[in-house]
Amino acid sequence: MFGKKEAVVSTKNIETIIGPSVRVEGNFTGEGDLIIEGMLIGTLNTKNNLKIGSSAVVEATVKANNAFIAGRIKGNVTIKGRLEITSSAVIVGDIKAAILSIESGALIQGNVAMPFNEPKHDEHRPNPKKEVKRTENELAEGKLLES
Amino acid sequence: MYLYIYDSFLSDKKYSDLLSQIEKRVTDLGIKGRIARLSILKNMKELITDGIKSGVQTVVVIGNAQTFAKVINIVAGLEVVLGLIPVENDNKIAKMLGVPPKLLACDVIASRIIKKIDLGLINGHFFVGQAEINDANVLIEYDGYNVRPTTANNNITIYNFADRSIIPNSTPVDGVLEVVITPMKSGVFGKKNITGTILPFSKIKISAEDEEQVSILTDEQVIMKTPAEISVAPQKLRVIVGPERCFE
Repeated sequence: MFGKKEAVVSTKNIETIIGPSVRVEGNFTGEGDLIIEGMLIGTLNTKNNLKIGSSAVVEATVKANNAFIAGRIKGNVTIKGRLEITSSAVIVGDIKAAILSIESGALIQGNVAMPFNEPKHDEHRPNPKKEVKRTENELAEGKLLES
Repeated sequence: MYLYIYDSFLSDKKYSDLLSQIEKRVTDLGIKGRIARLSILKNMKELITDGIKSGVQTVVVIGNAQTFAKVINIVAGLEVVLGLIPVENDNKIAKMLGVPPKLLACDVIASRIIKKIDLGLINGHFFVGQAEINDANVLIEYDGYNVRPTTANNNITIYNFADRSIIPNSTPVDGVLEVVITPMKSGVFGKKNITGTILPFSKIKISAEDEEQVSILTDEQVIMKTPAEISVAPQKLRVIVGPERCFE
């Protein structure tokens, strides 16, 4: 998602930036992409992408679609899609994400959970109808060859 | 029917040539209308409301940034279209609307591209461009959370529309305003800006953290005081814009 280039949070779609000289307190809800470089205390919710920069300090429960974390978080983090944690990140709290990437050096104190949907066995089994047809065809071809 | 309002400062002799050229141009373009001149005895609100009663549908104001800041507060929400003819070259509002200065603005008025734009509302006073607070210790209250600058020197600007270099997707037709908080740091070569904060909103309250009231300058013209309630008035102004405007 963000990779080394941090491509997902493109400056074109950025709607909210909390800069390093700002302190936000309360229940913060953002609609668009969100970048935090400052301080946030309370709760943080966004339906889009979230980037927590290396200078950011977040004391909040965090919910986002995708996230890139390089700063400090004290609180539980729930990410619907992909979560990327860099070496400078410090997270004290439980993490839940569908896809997770952790760079060596990152500090995490808490449980890490990834929702695991076991694939149904039937999905990998060939369609029995098709199998029967093929068998019938093969049989017919076999009969023709025999005659 | 068009109503042309000349600001009072245009009675100065140095503008007489320009005004006669504008009058000739609007006649050539077939958009001639009634002319009203502002003076100590005639105020803008009176002229516009009288004009609307007698069937005026388009009010064209000839003047400077101060004239436009004034007229916006009168025509906002009324069933008239506003046109602007700036007599100065560096008018920010006109630039945003894509209206060139002086005589060239007449062609834009004649083309009649009409857009409904948002306005900012601060303590009952409309602004079209921005409201600015310099170097003040303030608290910004949103619905559910509040924001405080943590450094001593900050520029706090509330934008209806901003230069694309400040807010990449800024437009006066999106139904939101943006607070931009920019810390000012003194360096060897004077003050310099560092990474700022951009927070969109539809309604906020700004109050001073200290006992003294803080001044808020709207559209570089009118000074308001804290505590201030600032909200967006979506699609409040019908205005004639040019093809070079800064938004879709």
